[in-house]
Amino acid sequence: MSGGNGNGSVRVGVFICHCGGNIADVVDVEAAAQAAARMPGVAFSSTHMFCCSDPGQAMIVQAIRDHGLNRVVVAACSPSLHEATFRRAAAHAGLNPFLCLHANIREQVSWVVRDRAQATRKAVRLIRAAVARSAHLAPLERRRLPIRPSVLVIGGGVAGLTAARDLASRGIEVTLIESSPFLGGRLAQLYRIYPTGQFARDVLNRLIREVAGHPKVKIYTNAQLWSSEGFIGDFRTTVRLIPRGVTEEPADLQAVLDACPEEAVDQFNLGLAKRKAIYRPYDGCYPPLPAIDWRTCTRCGACVEAAGGRGIQLDQEPEQIEIRSGAIVLAVGLDTYPLRHGEYGYGKFPEVITLAQLNRLLDPTGPTGGRVEIRGRPVRRVGFLHCVGSLQRKGVHPPMRDGRINEYCSRVCCTTTMHTAAELKSRFPELQVYDFHEHIRTYGRKHENYYDRVCEQGVVFIRFDPARPPRVESDPKGEWPLVVRTVDRLTSGEELEVPLDLLVLATGLVARDMKRLIDLYRCSVGPDRFLLEVHPKLRPVELASSGLFLAGSVQGPMDIAEATAAAAAAASKAAALVCAGSIELDPYVARVDETRCSGCRICLQACPFGAIARREETRQAVVNEALCMGCGTCAALCPCNAIQQCGFDDRQIGAELEALLAPEPELAAVSSQEAFDGKAQGR
Amino acid sequence: MAKIQAHYDGAVIGGGIAGMQAALDLAGQGFRVLLVEREPSIGGIMVGLNKVFPTLDCSSCICTPRMAEAAHHERIDLLTYTEVEEVRRTDGHFTLRLLKKPRYVVEEDCIGCGKCEQACDWFVPHEFDYGLGARKAIYIPHGNAIPQLPVLDPEHCMFDGACARVCPKNCIDFLQQPERLEVKAGSVIIATGLKLTPMEAKKEYGGGRYANVISPLLMERMQSSNGPTGHVMRPSDGRIPRSVAYVQCAGSRDRTIGVPYCSRVCCMYALKQAILIRQHHPGTEVTLYYMDIRAFGKGYEQFFRRALAEGVRVVKAKVGRITEEPDGDLVLRVELIDEGGRVAEIRHDLVVLSQGLIPAWRPVGIVPARLDEDGFFEVPEVTTRPANSSVDGIFVAGVATGPKDIPDSIVEAGAAAMEAAMYLDRISRVEAEEAAMSEVSND
Repeated sequence: MSGGNGNGSVRVGVFICHCGGNIADVVDVEAAAQAAARMPGVAFSSTHMFCCSDPGQAMIVQAIRDHGLNRVVVAACSPSLHEATFRRAAAHAGLNPFLCLHANIREQVSWVVRDRAQATRKAVRLIRAAVARSAHLAPLERRRLPIRPSVLVIGGGVAGLTAARDLASRGIEVTLIESSPFLGGRLAQLYRIYPTGQFARDVLNRLIREVAGHPKVKIYTNAQLWSSEGFIGDFRTTVRLIPRGVTEEPADLQAVLDACPEEAVDQFNLGLAKRKAIYRPYDGCYPPLPAIDWRTCTRCGACVEAAGGRGIQLDQEPEQIEIRSGAIVLAVGLDTYPLRHGEYGYGKFPEVITLAQLNRLLDPTGPTGGRVEIRGRPVRRVGFLHCVGSLQRKGVHPPMRDGRINEYCSRVCCTTTMHTAAELKSRFPELQVYDFHEHIRTYGRKHENYYDRVCEQGVVFIRFDPARPPRVESDPKGEWPLVVRTVDRLTSGEELEVPLDLLVLATGLVARDMKRLIDLYRCSVGPDRFLLEVHPKLRPVELASSGLFLAGSVQGPMDIAEATAAAAAAASKAAALVCAGSIELDPYVARVDETRCSGCRICLQACPFGAIARREETRQAVVNEALCMGCGTCAALCPCNAIQQCGFDDRQIGAELEALLAPEPELAAVSSQEAFDGKAQGR
Repeated sequence: MAKIQAHYDGAVIGGGIAGMQAALDLAGQGFRVLLVEREPSIGGIMVGLNKVFPTLDCSSCICTPRMAEAAHHERIDLLTYTEVEEVRRTDGHFTLRLLKKPRYVVEEDCIGCGKCEQACDWFVPHEFDYGLGARKAIYIPHGNAIPQLPVLDPEHCMFDGACARVCPKNCIDFLQQPERLEVKAGSVIIATGLKLTPMEAKKEYGGGRYANVISPLLMERMQSSNGPTGHVMRPSDGRIPRSVAYVQCAGSRDRTIGVPYCSRVCCMYALKQAILIRQHHPGTEVTLYYMDIRAFGKGYEQFFRRALAEGVRVVKAKVGRITEEPDGDLVLRVELIDEGGRVAEIRHDLVVLSQGLIPAWRPVGIVPARLDEDGFFEVPEVTTRPANSSVDGIFVAGVATGPKDIPDSIVEAGAAAMEAAMYLDRISRVEAEEAAMSEVSND
């Protein structure tokens, strides 16, 4: 690693960023720069409109060279955004990058303090603390960790399959695990998909062929996440494999299915049919072998008998395997909004179904063979109700189990509704179709075509008032199974009564219950319960924990094309990581001072990463620097003060705190208006 | 500036946010990339934006580091101010015919000191600020431009030699000629982005005729702290507006101007600008006239509700016509949908036309990949291969395949890079096999 210069007299350069107006609109950056110039050790201070820009970085590099600076303090946005940028700039000028500190005067000052004088004082205080700490910094070297050239993909839906396909075609070993017995996820349950009108099954089968046949891919179905150890470059994930129960294709599958006496609700067909305890969700599924649903199976042995005693085993034990990988792609997908009993009549009237259920009914291989009928009755009038479980409002919609309402838009339901309505109208032209909506959000490429088409097909649009959502009741006259009562804002709030045979609820999409995944990998979760990317624009497919990538709708609602693109983007990041072969890690490791260590072992037990061992000869603690994540737990707990954390040692933190807590900084008058001349105060 | 090689693994056409991301993601996987940009600086539309929805991060803070990263990446070479004249398939790779336009500045020698710009006496309306600010006839495109090199605009230059006299490196060259280059690339990624539908497209709105009917991109520059004004004002008299109207779908979802599709970002940028107007000028009212509010992305509906909480008014209405009053105010004739279609005339003192997105580049006959009837690149297998064009080896990302916001463009750029990487692996395998075959046959 380049750069040195930790020695000799300290010469600090302070660079204060306007951040456009993000900082300078509130903080008097010029006054702050003048104050910084008077701080002990500061040899140069200056401001810049955008320190992170090329010219901004060039200014820092130039100042380091011109003024012989050996410490750099940049007061700007959050270090999570640009600490790395400024460290690179420092390194470019020949300075050890860890002699560069980043003070956050945007998130911690200008975005939260309104008063200009107060904000400027706080900014100066933070700068003063960073300057004080910087004097005690020492050059540090990054660690290099090898990266195992393999990736674990969690989830066998369209996103997981796409990520696996893409990584494998780059020659990377991929292990794909799927918690259910079959691949395909929600894509398998769809009928036709927009904007191509392809059969979902065709798209899926092709994808599965590409993945399942690939020599670099290993697939485990019925595989549940059990535990996880390790870190970026070498994750060790333990997976529990639930036995499938079926080891070879029965000669007469139908006879085996017929023999099974136990029935369960067919989840694949969303409760519209029943299936046996030994089952296959649909013909052509992957893997093609049937599976046994152990919650329903009573182990009566009827299937074994029907199969002639071959290929079915009811006494297999679950097995645990360890999967080692350099990176992990999370692609566990999402769920549809769980309707409460009676919500918009769901569960109360059999004529109220979800959009996903309608998709099963439209499928010629589905439970009704493609007929849209309810309890054997043909359908004459259909209504679609948008935003069920999406765009919820406090006081109008009851909260979900966690006490939160779903304020967000589920993104795919509008176009799915238009697409499905168009399909219905073209298959059953005499059908009358009503659409109850707040906004129609057919935003994507060619999505508007479906909206146009259903308008031409005569679908009637009714715009409800979200404060008074439609009510679903039985027809008092008894002529129709259902009546929807709503106001129509398109006809100046007229009260309407729309009798229907069938009401289709466009239920929104919600995050899966991912508690185990979240705990195991310490994932960030957003207020919408979906996994939260580091930054929607800077790092949109990465989690804050290194080596973990997000593929598809685990991150939020997406349609098939969007989930595919996100999965490919995640694959691209994972491929870049594992192809590099190694990665540099921050040098913030714990170090043991052997003259002080008493061998008490407190640190050994406290380390969450198993990075501390005891050297037998000396009975003292020793840190494995490849495993140390720099959390600082050991340094905080050591009763002998024998452990120091590089970059955060006692002298550094002490100096920082002292400067932070010292009396109010003195300031020249804070200018009342925004000053943008950006002149440097060198000396 | 790095010397341009004869052969690259990938050529990325377009140096906006999608192109830069695609270049970075492809180079990140170990491939050598050439990034070609038509304008004098990379950064595209994004570098001129103020803050971005839904986080209200400053756009430059996200875009400029990407620009620096792309420009300094050891496996990325940059060619700015360069037009792509032809992309053709020649056995096993693509050949790009490029036209490097003259900056009238010797790039290799220029140190970007800006003295030429200071010395120049000729002021010209600045395109970067949509005409509201001024630049010189020789100018560095803007403060965040990469490369930080000036370009001379021969249309406005008086050739008085002032710049050449002060240049410490003697690198002003009035006789510089366009330069033709041919570069081979294993794969091509097209990320040529967008332009807005013309202001004049909807004659009845008076765009381009009425001073106070403006483009949302001009609003971005006015709201930017590094913009020409530093605050929102009426172009006619410089006054801070008291009542701003946004006319939504003023260039989208409209067959009469040939843009039947939704431009996908206008609802959100209008809401964002409206929030920022309200924050900077709490006394100013902002009204959006809309058909549907399409706040579909992650955190977007929440952002919409925040706008309402900050006092932004939204009215479901179709604007039929805008007329100008003698004082520069504007009267909007609107059909108020929520009031049963009542027609009203409503006065505002500044109107923003939420223009739609159309492709910035229509390379018919230049690139072999097909365009769709909407003018964007055709993506034949959009559900499974969303970054693949109709030609194997040519990939597409960002608005080149239809309107898209920044996060979606960035994600798609990652997908395009992945596809390009897979394709390059595939052709190198094929080449290796062919080489092995010919060795066998030679033996």
